[in-house]
Amino acid sequence: MSEAQKQVWEGAIPLQIELHESEVTTLPPPPPALLLAPRIGYLPLLISLLKPHFTSTLPPGVDTIWFDYKGLPLKWYIPTGVLFDLLCVEPERPWNLTVHFRGYPSNLLLPCEGEDSVKWSFINSLKEAAYVINGNCKNVMNMSQPDQVELWGSVLNGNLESYRRVASKLKLGTFDDEYTENTITDSTKSQQSTGDTDAVVQVKTGRIPVRLYLWTVNEEFDDFEDAPQIDNWDKVSYINRPVEIHREDGKYFSLNEAIKRILPEFFLDNFSVSEGDASIDLDAREEGESSSDPGSSCLPLETAEIKLVRIQGIEPILNIPFSWVVNNLMNPEYFLHMCVCLKVSKANAVQ
Amino acid sequence: MSVESPSSVRKVVVHLRATGDAPILKQSKFKIAGTDKFAKVIDFLRRQLHRETLFVYVNSAFSPNPDELVIDLFNNFGFDGKLVVNYACSMAWG
Repeated sequence: MSEAQKQVWEGAIPLQIELHESEVTTLPPPPPALLLAPRIGYLPLLISLLKPHFTSTLPPGVDTIWFDYKGLPLKWYIPTGVLFDLLCVEPERPWNLTVHFRGYPSNLLLPCEGEDSVKWSFINSLKEAAYVINGNCKNVMNMSQPDQVELWGSVLNGNLESYRRVASKLKLGTFDDEYTENTITDSTKSQQSTGDTDAVVQVKTGRIPVRLYLWTVNEEFDDFEDAPQIDNWDKVSYINRPVEIHREDGKYFSLNEAIKRILPEFFLDNFSVSEGDASIDLDAREEGESSSDPGSSCLPLETAEIKLVRIQGIEPILNIPFSWVVNNLMNPEYFLHMCVCLKVSKANAVQ
Repeated sequence: MSVESPSSVRKVVVHLRATGDAPILKQSKFKIAGTDKFAKVIDFLRRQLHRETLFVYVNSAFSPNPDELVIDLFNNFGFDGKLVVNYACSMAWG
């Protein structure tokens, strides 16, 4: 296991959590709770630490824990580290959250019945990722009960060694790291053949499950403090599109290329200009068909600039090999979560 | 393949299939805007079947997150021009 992977698993966000004032029944109000929340964990799992802290002041009722940040209810199925990377553009330490045990906003958040819901969501994401990688999720479905328990336990406890032991049985593999072996383009080693065998350049592919959280800005900002606040989930596009690692001999596939491939509607032009390869052109056309028809011709006039990419709290340089990012920074359910901010402006705007 | 409507909103054909003891719908294929979330499919099924608790899967395999876009699910997991959605009243595929 790599050092980066260990750091991801040990990564935690310092939280300062206040109980929402409407649920405070005692004077003085309880002090905020201070704790470290694992990056790869989920907020509702903190209940065992938070409940004892606030239980004596809560009004009568049934507990349904949820959190908000500056009034924005937090989606519980998004890993805590991703929420922090996305919503705290200028990282705040400790991160100031508000906890609620009453008045669940069912109109804004998916229902959550504690750990069972989180585990259900995790396992289904894992199955979805397996489906993206292998075209089926039999290995996850056929997991033995003890293995399932161990897998979930390893995520709960941040135990990377036990996770690796049990996850290796899923045969989801890691993806060939171009960072260390950047000369091999032997397509016979590839498990998933593209069927594109007559292409001049041998391209090696592997489908990587990616969850991309996209928000766009129109204004330039130099300082993250001036970045607009995400105060509404409608401002964030939740994009689930796998990326195929395209490898041409000697040249690695970068994070930059991966992002542009995930978001062809913003980077279609760059695609056909910068990449001359015929098979890549075809891909771009196929993907872009829906957005580049004459009816929606406003899109090609837009230009987009990547303002910020944050993965596991890191802002990697964009020409880093994408395979390194995947192998080191993915979450335990085999999804790579990326927070991306784009600056979008009209190319033909009067200067 | 999915159909382009005049307003250029890409529509996806969803094929709803009952699993286990779930009632079968009179109409099983529907078009839905690709920009809609999967939650809309779940809500539709809840209303049609008058059930609060429902388990909804793609390709008899996994339950997508309700926030996922229908177009993403279609592109990733659709085949023969449609997205196959299975529904059950009790948990079908753990």
